[in-house]
Amino acid sequence: MVGTEYYVALSAVLFAIGAVGVLTRRSAILVFLSVELMLNAANLALVAYSRQWSAAGQAVAMSGQSAVFIILAVAAAEVAVGLGILVAIFRNRSSTDVDALSEVRY
Amino acid sequence: MIGFVILAAVMIIGAIGVVTLREPVHAALSLVATLLTLAVTYITLQAHFLAAVQVIVYAGAIMVLFLFVIMLLNVGSDDSGTAKRSQLPGLRPAAYLVSLLAAAGIAATAFLDPRQLPTRELIDVALAGGGADRVGESLFSDFVLAFQLVGVLLLTGIIGAVGLVQRRAAGDRPHHDASEHRDRELTNV
Repeated sequence: MVGTEYYVALSAVLFAIGAVGVLTRRSAILVFLSVELMLNAANLALVAYSRQWSAAGQAVAMSGQSAVFIILAVAAAEVAVGLGILVAIFRNRSSTDVDALSEVRY
Repeated sequence: MIGFVILAAVMIIGAIGVVTLREPVHAALSLVATLLTLAVTYITLQAHFLAAVQVIVYAGAIMVLFLFVIMLLNVGSDDSGTAKRSQLPGLRPAAYLVSLLAAAGIAATAFLDPRQLPTRELIDVALAGGGADRVGESLFSDFVLAFQLVGVLLLTGIIGAVGLVQRRAAGDRPHHDASEHRDRELTNV
C-alpha cells in the first residue's frame, strides 16, 4: 500500500496548481474551475488521512469520509450560486473578466 | 506504487491543463479528467462510495453545469498571456513562487514525519471499503447536524441561484421601456 505522505504530497501539488489558476486567470469562470480543483485537492488529503486513522476505530476513520461527503454537497451549492452570480454579471457587462470587475469591492 | 504514479501523473497533467488551456471548454474537460482520476484514487484509498459520488455529482452534475454555463455565455478564450491592461506587475512570478513554496512545504512536512500505515486487517475493519452503509452510519450519528444543515444550505443555494438568474428577466421593466418609447413617439409627433 502506498503511504499517506504520497497522497498528501499529491494533494498539496494539486492545491498549489489550483491556487496558481486562481491568481493568474482573468476569466471568472476559469477562476471558478481552479477553485473546484483546490476543493478536490483538500478532499484527497481528507480521504488519505481517513485511511491513516483506521487504527483509531471506525467512528474516527469514517469521519474523514463523511467530511468529504459534506464538502461535496457544499461545493454543489456553491457552484449553483456562483454560476448564478456569473450569469447575472455577464448579463450586465457581457464579460466575466475579473480585472474589469474592480467596482464589486464597493 | 506504479498505479499511484500513473494516477498522480494523469491528475497533475489534467490540473496543469485546467490552469493553462486557453479555451474554457478545454479547461473544463481537463478538470473532468482530473476528477475522474481522483475517483479512481478514492477506490485505492478504500472509499468506494465516495468514488461513486465523485463520478456522479462532481464529474457528472457539477461539471455539466459548468459546461452549460460556458456554452450559454459563449465565453471567449482567456487572453491571460497577451493583454496586460491592469494586472499587477510581477503577479505571475509571485503566484508561481508562493504556490511552489506552499506545495514543497506541505510535501516536506508529510515526508519528514512519515507515519506507519495501519495493517490491512485494521483498515478493512475500520473502513470496510468505505461503502454506503459505513458512510451513512457516520453521517446519521456523528454528523447528523451537519447533514441537516447541508440540506438547508442546498435549499438556500437553489433559491439563491433562481433569484439571481431571474431578477433581470422578471424586472426587465417592459413598462419603463414602453413608456419611454411612447414619450419619444409623442415628441416625434
